[in-house]
This record gives sequence, C-alpha cells and structure tokens, in this order.
Amino acid sequence: MKKIERKELLMMTGGAVVGGLTGYVLSGAPFLMFQDLAEWTQDQYVPLKGEIKLLQSICQSCTTKCEISVRMVADRAVKVETSNAACPLGQASLQLLYHPERIDKPLKRTGNKGKGRFVPVSWESAMADISGKMNALVKNNKKDAIAAINKDINLSSELLEKLITSTGSTNVYYESSLNALTMSALGGVVDYDFNKADYVLSFGAKLFEGWGVPGTMNKVLASWPGSGKKLVQVDTNCSRTTSLADEWVPVKAGTEPVLAMGIANYLIKEKKLISAGEGFAKWAQYVYQYDMATTAKLTGVSEDRIKALAEAFYGARNPMAVAGRGAHGVSSSASEIIAVYALNTLVRSTSVSLKQYTGMGTGKNPAGIDDFIKNGNFELLFINEADPVYKSVLGKDLAAKMEKAFVVAMMPLINDTALYADYVLPSLTFLETLQSDGQTVLKPYASAKHAGDIIIELAGKIDAAKGAFPWTSYLDAVKQAGNTRGVAGFSFKVDKLKEQLSAFKKQKADAEYPLSLIPVEMPLVGDGDGMAFPYVLKNIDSDSFMLGKMKVLMNKATAKKEGVSEGSSIKIISERGKIGSVKVHITDTIAPDVVAVPLGFGHMAYTKYAEKKGVNPKEIMAADIDPVTGAANWWGTRVKIS
Amino acid sequence: MKTSNSKMKRRWGMAIDLDKCNGCGQCSISCAQENNMPIFEDDSDVPKRVSFLDLMKVTNDRDASYPDVKVAFIPKMCQQCEGNDPLNPTPPCVSVCPAVATDVGDDGVVSQIWSRCIGCRYCQTACPYEARAFNWWKPKYESTFKKSLNSDVSIASRGTIVKCTFCSHIWKRERDKAAANGELDINAVTYSPACVTSCPTGAMVFGDLNDPASEISMLSRDKRAFRLVHTIDEKSPEEQKKLMKIKNYPNPKVYYLSSQKWIRDMMRFNSGK
Repeated sequence: MKKIERKELLMMTGGAVVGGLTGYVLSGAPFLMFQDLAEWTQDQYVPLKGEIKLLQSICQSCTTKCEISVRMVADRAVKVETSNAACPLGQASLQLLYHPERIDKPLKRTGNKGKGRFVPVSWESAMADISGKMNALVKNNKKDAIAAINKDINLSSELLEKLITSTGSTNVYYESSLNALTMSALGGVVDYDFNKADYVLSFGAKLFEGWGVPGTMNKVLASWPGSGKKLVQVDTNCSRTTSLADEWVPVKAGTEPVLAMGIANYLIKEKKLISAGEGFAKWAQYVYQYDMATTAKLTGVSEDRIKALAEAFYGARNPMAVAGRGAHGVSSSASEIIAVYALNTLVRSTSVSLKQYTGMGTGKNPAGIDDFIKNGNFELLFINEADPVYKSVLGKDLAAKMEKAFVVAMMPLINDTALYADYVLPSLTFLETLQSDGQTVLKPYASAKHAGDIIIELAGKIDAAKGAFPWTSYLDAVKQAGNTRGVAGFSFKVDKLKEQLSAFKKQKADAEYPLSLIPVEMPLVGDGDGMAFPYVLKNIDSDSFMLGKMKVLMNKATAKKEGVSEGSSIKIISERGKIGSVKVHITDTIAPDVVAVPLGFGHMAYTKYAEKKGVNPKEIMAADIDPVTGAANWWGTRVKIS
Repeated sequence: MKTSNSKMKRRWGMAIDLDKCNGCGQCSISCAQENNMPIFEDDSDVPKRVSFLDLMKVTNDRDASYPDVKVAFIPKMCQQCEGNDPLNPTPPCVSVCPAVATDVGDDGVVSQIWSRCIGCRYCQTACPYEARAFNWWKPKYESTFKKSLNSDVSIASRGTIVKCTFCSHIWKRERDKAAANGELDINAVTYSPACVTSCPTGAMVFGDLNDPASEISMLSRDKRAFRLVHTIDEKSPEEQKKLMKIKNYPNPKVYYLSSQKWIRDMMRFNSGK
C-alpha cells in the first residue's frame, strides 16, 4: 500500500470541504434558511389597530328584523357580537363581507356561457344594455319573456317582483324554500307560535338544525327543557332534532304524509272532527283510504302507536303540527303540507295561523320554479342571489335555457348560476346595509350596490315600470316593506292533488331501484350556501367530508345486503343518471334501505373554497313536478348503488 | 404560582349543557373569527387545519342500532386543567414547557404565548384532550380576509403551538376598560369568551368557579355534570384523595352537562357500569 503523504492528505481534506460547500450552496439550502429567517423575523402580519366601537343595528335583510351588533376596529368589522345571529350565516357573515373573491365591478360575459369568463364594465353601460333589452321586450309585447328568480322573501325580492309585474309579466319565482312552498300550497306562510304550543308534532321538519327562522327556533330550544312541553319528531333518519325530541317516531322513507293522513283519519272517524278548509268533504274521502292498518303498513309505525299519537295530539291543550321536511333545503309535496296543516285545523289549534307578506304573491306561483324551468320560456331572466342551477333538481335544464337567453345576476359572489349570466352585478351583503343613526356604517365593497338600489335604478330606465317606483333608494322603500296580513282560509285543492293523494298508497319497494336516497344537511353548510367560507369548512364533520372526498351514509344491515363496507367507493344511480364516486360511511343513525347523501357539496363555482368539492346529489334526484306548488319533490328518490 | 397570596379571587370555568346544544356551529365560527384562525386552501383537510374549538359530532351507533340511536354535538376546546390543587395549579402542559410559553395565571386560565413558543410540542403530547394545535404551515389570510382580523390577538408564526385561552384577551380588554373608568378592583370585572357570547341557545355558561353563588358553580355541582374522560370523578371522595396523592390528575375546569346516559358513559370512557 502506498503511503499517503501529509500534503496529499491536506489536499484531499481541502477538496472534500470545498466540494461539500459547493454542494451545500447549490442545493439551495442556504436560500431556504434565509427565507425561513425572513419569515420568522419579519414576515409577521400585524392586524391594524384602531378605535374599538360597537355597531348596534337592526338587520333589514329579511322580515324577522333581528337586533345585531358588530365589533368594529376603526372601519373594519372584526366580529359579530350578537348572541343570536339568526341567519344561517350568522357569525360567518364577516367571511362573506371580506371574501377575497367578492365581485367588485359589474361583469360582462366574454367567453361562452358556463365558462365563467367576464370583463369588468361600468355601471352605466351595464344598466343601459339591460334596460334596452327589457324595454324592447315590453315594446314587442313579449312581456311574459321577462322572468325573475329570487332567493327568499326580502326587500330586494319584493322590489324585483314589483319591477317584473309592472312590465306585465307574472314570472316571478322563489327558490323552493319553506316559505315559498307553503305559500304555494296553502296561500300563505304558516305562523307557528312555538311559545304557545305545548305539544309539537313535527313531520320531518329539522326544527333545531336550520328550519324556519333559526333565531326563533334557538330561543325555543333554550326555553324547552323543563317547560313540560313535548316535541314529537316524525323522521326517517336520526338527526340532532330527533335526538333532542321527547319522542322520535321513525317512519319509512317518504311516508311522513301517510302518517299525517292516518292521524287525520283517526281524528275524523273517532273524534268526529271536521276542518273548515274548502273542499274538506272531498279530501276526507281520500283520508278514509288511510285507515290504521294501511297507514301502519305503509309507514312502518304500529297501529297502536298511530292511535296513541292521534290521542296525544287530540288531548293536548295547545297541539301544533309542523310541516316542511328538511332544514335549509326544504322539499315537501303540496299534499304533505296540506295534510299536516289539516291536522291543525281539525283540532282548531290556536298556535298556528296563515299569514301573507303584503309585497308577495302577485306573481303566478312563488315556488313554481321547477315547473317554470321545465315548461316555461324566457328571453330575459333576473337572478337575485339565487342559485337555481345548483339548487334545483332541474338545474342543468335551466342552464341550457339560460344559454339562449339574456341573463342578469345580482349577487356578491359568483355562484353556479352566475356562470350562465350575461351580466353579473355586484350586490351588497346584509352587514353593509346596517344602519346607525340613519347612516350605513360599513362602506360598500368596491362599487357594489344594494340589490334594491340596482332594481330602483333600473326601474327608472324602464318605461312601463317608472311610475311604480317613487323611491330614490332602498332606504326609502325599506319603510314600506315586510308587512304581513292574515289569510282568510285555505283550500284542500283535492282536484289538483288527486294523483298525489292516491300515489302514497302505491309506494312499495322497487326491484330495480331498491334504495331511497335521502338528503342530510350539516351544520353551517346547509344546502350549500356555507361552502364558500373557510371557517365553515373547518367545521365539517370528517365522517361526511374530508380532503375533497364526500361520504354517503348507510345503515349496517343495508351495507351488508348491498355488499359494501366502510370506505368503499360507490356510484349512486337513479332513473335520471348517476353520481360518483363517493365513499361509504356505515352508521346506524340512518334507516335501513336508505342512502343518505349530504347536501351542499359539488359546486361548479362559488369561490375556490367551494369549487369541485364532492358531488351534488340534486343531479339525480327525482324531478316530478308538484301540480300545486310547481316545485319538484326531490326528497326520497329511488336509487341503486354499484 | 401561589394564588393564596394573590389579590385575585377568580377561577374561570365553563359549563356546556349538551342537552341544549343543537350543533349550530356558531361557537366554532365565533372562536375562529375572534382568534384569527389561519385560512388554508382547503380547511376541510383535518390534519392540516388549525382550530381551537372542535365541534365533535358523536353518536351511539356502535352500541345501539336503528332506531335506538342518538346523535349529539360536543364543543371541545382547551379544558383549562388545574391539577390536584386549585391553589397551586399544575396543568399537564405547563410543567413540560421548556420556554415558559404556556403558564397558568392566578385567574386559573392556562395561557399560551405564541411568540415565546419554540415549537418542541411537548405540551401537545402532554395534553390529555388534544386541545393544542401546531402550526405546521404559516398561517395565511388571503387578501381582503385580512380586514376581518382581530387586532387583540397576534398572528402566530409557523412552527408554534396555539390553543384556546378562554379568550383571555377579552378579559384583559375588559380589565383595561374598567381601569380606564376608575374601577381598580379586578374582581369587579367579568367577561365571557367569544364562543359563550355567540351561543344562541344558552348551552354554554362561563363564570367564576370560586364564587359559590355563580351559575357556573351551581352547574358544576349539578347531578348532570361531568368532565371529559376524567375517571377519578366516579370515585368516592376518600378514594379520590388517596389517588391524588399518588398521581397528578388534570382536573379540567370545563364541565359538560347531559341527562343522556350514553353521552355520559362515552365521555367518561367507561363501559357504562
């Protein structure tokens, strides 16, 4: 072996050191180290300080008129301080107010419809274009080609309804919310007095999970324990409402109206009760078909239990039956709403009354949106915050029709429906309309305007509508909005509902589609409105959604029968198509022979936070249109899995 | 720190009535908003997201089958442990912190100072309730989201532990406000954390456990009250004393109330005997 000289050893060591250093420098490690150092020492965002004030106001965004307080640091709103933030958004409304994807200028479509490519334009040119199109349609006597879809009843929807009807069109629709459906089925909304009632029989209404006005329902829940009041929940799956109820009556999927008919049968036959509703005698003929044995067979509730329920309802001092299956996303057939309401009229409940909003109901049929999508035609469509392309079971058909029409959308964030709009006009969130001493406190975002102001400004340019709009801004109009009046009576509408009333009896297991698809809703996500907000995403139950993968829920026995296990990937198929793949989570909170699918996922747009997360089950849900409400009855679709 | 020689009498605690909780989630949103929770591209990414308050959905579907099942929601945050002796609090996380980033004050609140944390995560390991979160990624707030940041809470840097502090910055703000108005006795000042303020059904109650007349004290002695996975609560007082001589128990100051046997059994982590 050759002896290594001292000089050679030094050179080798030197070479190794130089080589190591070169490698270290070229690896990029020192740069990462500097980057880390910079981040740790300097790149620390410090929220701007300022004077802390509390903004106290009355919220004008709906008819409930809640008190609201917001903590301000200088001109920034940092926290909603109200304990009962009644809106579904509530605390998350700041994430809407300061959403980085809010629309700052009116947008005009450049690319093909559905692509979501827009360029900013000025308010003047947008309004001139829209009013020009509208005036031309009125002039050419194509009034019925003008239509509007609202999200819910509020000031801007009342104004939009006024604008459309003053041009001679009656095509004003609302998303199929509880209010809209009841309005169509009963001729008014039901005013439930939960403080007065001592026995509440709820037919699938998820009372404490977003149903009705959550602010009111939260107060009811707060006062409930120890008050001696009783809540009986008729429902298919186990939800928080069924767990909070004093009694849960599990029924087979979709048979809530049958149980209501069965109870009515008992009350009419045994207790000789009659209802004052128009057409009662005719309706009673159908009720007689649902004797105890038939009802028990269809619903899966024992005859004794049905009798006990009817007796308890009859015997209570202030009984009340509540309709409207669901929480935020509500779907009930007209005959279901009528059957449940009829129970109230049979026992002459003093806790319920029918009311109508004064600004509403001038249109054809408030909830008739799905009928309109399927059979109607339009050349000019206004979308007021609504998202029918996402929320309606016929959303795809609407999108196809929107491709041929001129569409104007007003909303703060681009949603699935806005992808098909020609103009998207930025509207305000409710926080920006809060007033203190007659002044709005928060500056409107960029050039966004209140939807009411947009409509009033537009009306000033429409020859046919000018006269009906004496206001200069929504602040003037707000004083006259939101009043209610009583409704004299209601009708059973038997002639229109003949088919529906006898169809309940025919419900039986389908060999090809053995399962029922039933939607479930999660806190804050609701029927999809919450998905744009990161703080809502933080809350999603990981058993339903995690890392972009949506899970559907199935009962242990059903999963075994279908041969799926926890985490299996499946496709769900109905007559209308298929969705998938989704993962399975097995839990006995779900009824046998049911696939429970979470609502609110699978947006095509609605900010990057909601986009392409999970699937939207509405695509395959039943689209049979109710002859009275004109909305599709999508709750409980027959499906199979593969 | 000995509280016996302190002028402060407070021992802040919380009670959550699960029979009144409908899982609306306002507490969690409110907490995130108040404490400047980081916003990532996908916050449904459970391992990545950072939050102080977890709204856990629980069910008894393992033992019961349809239709005897029930679901409930349990809001879970830092349980503010005090150890065996309330006068000399020793939460499990405090003794392991090498940087005094987490400590317990004479108001009973287990504090956490983000900027002092060196990121060793000993406290996260020591925590029996998984109430601590580690910032594996730099907390980010996309453009205008920065506008809604609360100036009372500092933004944590990457590589630090964060957790619920019972919104002690509100406590400080209220004390400062009182002092500015000439009220120097801190025992006259009260406050309530963001989650409690936002609870619409009154399920969450906050107050001073040292005050025997306060609602929280009464609730903590309620028959329905129990603490999260705290087996020692089942034992007789003599046995408890004996056990506490051998071992330091967490003794949280957050009480849960429920009349539902299944929730109590599940949260005590026993078989329901």
